[in-house]
Amino acid sequence: MESRMLRCACGWEVRGTLDELVIAAQEHGRRLHNMEPTRGQVLAMVVDDRPTDDRVDEATAPPNRE
Amino acid sequence: MMTRAPSGWDVESPVQAEVFVVWLHDDHLELTGPCGAAPWILELGATDHPVAVVDRIVRDVVGEPLLVHSTSWRRDRDAVILSFVVVIDGALVGNLQSVPVGRSELARSEARAAPREIAHAQVVEHGLRHLAWLAVDDPVVAVELSPRWKEILAGYVPEPFRNLG
Repeated sequence: MESRMLRCACGWEVRGTLDELVIAAQEHGRRLHNMEPTRGQVLAMVVDDRPTDDRVDEATAPPNRE
Repeated sequence: MMTRAPSGWDVESPVQAEVFVVWLHDDHLELTGPCGAAPWILELGATDHPVAVVDRIVRDVVGEPLLVHSTSWRRDRDAVILSFVVVIDGALVGNLQSVPVGRSELARSEARAAPREIAHAQVVEHGLRHLAWLAVDDPVVAVELSPRWKEILAGYVPEPFRNLG
């Protein structure tokens, strides 16, 4: 499960997939803060709170061999 | 200066509204809203009328307000912040977090400069002093406030709209 987290400065938090976060954040921004955040703006503030073992560390992962 | 902690995604527009939702709880005033006692920040676009935006958002999220009044402005958060006191009926509070309003010293300007620091409690204090002034000066406001509201506001020193910083 690719769960990520987004926190608004007002204290509102949401967890879910990236698509779920974008939808929830756009609804929260529009309804509570008169904002229309773009997908890119939402994704820029997403926190990856998955367990460390579930993340792909691109910096240390071995290169693909074909 | 007073800024919110950079704890996440936030409103970043150059003009913002800061809303303090106030209601009469028995014999005292309380702050409420979707952010609890914390200021509720709204983005204001270039073509938005600030009062219309605050009224619409409060209506949608909390319910129909009794009064919507801008009470001060200041610079903060790299923006111009318009502070609003919104009065609601207690029946709208429901499950929203609510805390009693405390008293505070005002943030006073210097002769030609804004105060160096302004706390939210000082903005609320000034907002209620502004409402106390309207309660005796503005018949539209006076008719919306109950006698008990006016008794409590009488304890605030009336002041008109101010630049707080």
